[in-house]
Amino acid sequence: MRPRRPEPHTLAGAYALDAVAGTDKVRFERHLASCPACVRELAELREATARLAGAAAAEPPGGLVQRVVASAALTPQLPPVPGPAERWRARLPMGTARRPARPRRALRARLALALAAMFLAVAAASGAIALTTEHQLGAAERRDHQIAQVLTAPDAVMLTARARPQGTATVVMSHRYRSLVLTTAGLPPLPAGHRYQVWLMGPSGDRPAGLLPAAHGGMTGPVIATGLAAGDWIGLTVAPAAGSPRSASAPILMLNLAT
Amino acid sequence: MPDADLGAYLGEVARGDQAAFEVVCARAAATVFGVVRSVVRDPFQAEEVCQEVLLEVWRCASRFRPGRGSAMAWVTTIAHRRAVDRVRAERRLAEREQRATAHTIAYDEVAETVQARLDRERVRRCLRSLTELQRESVTLAYYGGYTFREVSGLLGVAEGTVKTRMRDGLIRLRDCLGAGR
Repeated sequence: MRPRRPEPHTLAGAYALDAVAGTDKVRFERHLASCPACVRELAELREATARLAGAAAAEPPGGLVQRVVASAALTPQLPPVPGPAERWRARLPMGTARRPARPRRALRARLALALAAMFLAVAAASGAIALTTEHQLGAAERRDHQIAQVLTAPDAVMLTARARPQGTATVVMSHRYRSLVLTTAGLPPLPAGHRYQVWLMGPSGDRPAGLLPAAHGGMTGPVIATGLAAGDWIGLTVAPAAGSPRSASAPILMLNLAT
Repeated sequence: MPDADLGAYLGEVARGDQAAFEVVCARAAATVFGVVRSVVRDPFQAEEVCQEVLLEVWRCASRFRPGRGSAMAWVTTIAHRRAVDRVRAERRLAEREQRATAHTIAYDEVAETVQARLDRERVRRCLRSLTELQRESVTLAYYGGYTFREVSGLLGVAEGTVKTRMRDGLIRLRDCLGAGR
């Protein structure tokens, strides 16, 4: 007999309401992966929460839909995860299939290319690539390789967040490599002797994850942070130029990395 | 709105059809914007999050599985999750800015604005059929963006109780809405 523990099942309602966070969430999602009954129940409860959403419906500001449709034209789409039906169809001779197998690699490559282009533009603009000594070159090459790995990871996800009082951060994250690449735009310039410091903050504590390079044209080049853990957030603080071992000052930005 | 249609359009969106995406946006934007706004409150942030949500629908349309639930539930799940992420990030920022200040949430204020938003009669009626604790737990979590642990603190009720009330409340809500459809 297994020892009696609180039924993870009872969290299904809270989870459907997005009211489960941190380690509770990680634990429940692990349970969910091995509990088809929970998946079914969750789907049913979400029909109820969808009605709660519908009850709050409100006319969006004018032009919003047009703006979204315009950006969609420039946004690559994720390839489908093939289900059993698609796998079966893919085995049919060409011409019998309802439509040709999707060029998944090509799509993925396009996403990677779009992301890489964006980050390289930032890197070039900020002069992050112009390093001199051989030792630095070695470290920079290694770093660039790591960055490229994250940007082209099949599970790469892009997130953006706003900083206070101004500026934005763009994060491309890969759970597979437990890493993320961060760039920023429009952060306020800092007084001499100060830098922006990146933090990973989570159940396992706050860890410093590097300093942002100096901004060029308002943008900072890509910084890679490794060792992501479940439940982590990314944060930015203002720190003394040498960095700070503890997140003493209040973050100007925090972004939940759970997706 | 016939949800099967929305699902069919999502299928087209997954194949990169921009006209279909426009239809999906036109049909879902009010619900997405409404639920996001109830959670994040700030209209400018709501607009921003709403755009992110609709773009995610475009990006991830291929992940929608018609057999696993309605298209609207899929879209609103994305919307609510994003809204909650945003409001929790804001709250964490606020908390860190004022570490010394006692953390208090004006429950009455939340409850009041929530009531004002419930303009759909059937949902309102079905919510009334829940017990008070079920209703409070469900609405604080969904429209307030609070975790079950926070709701437990707000209501002064044990966490285990809140968890089960959320589940029971949603089941009752589902049955009530389904029966009166």
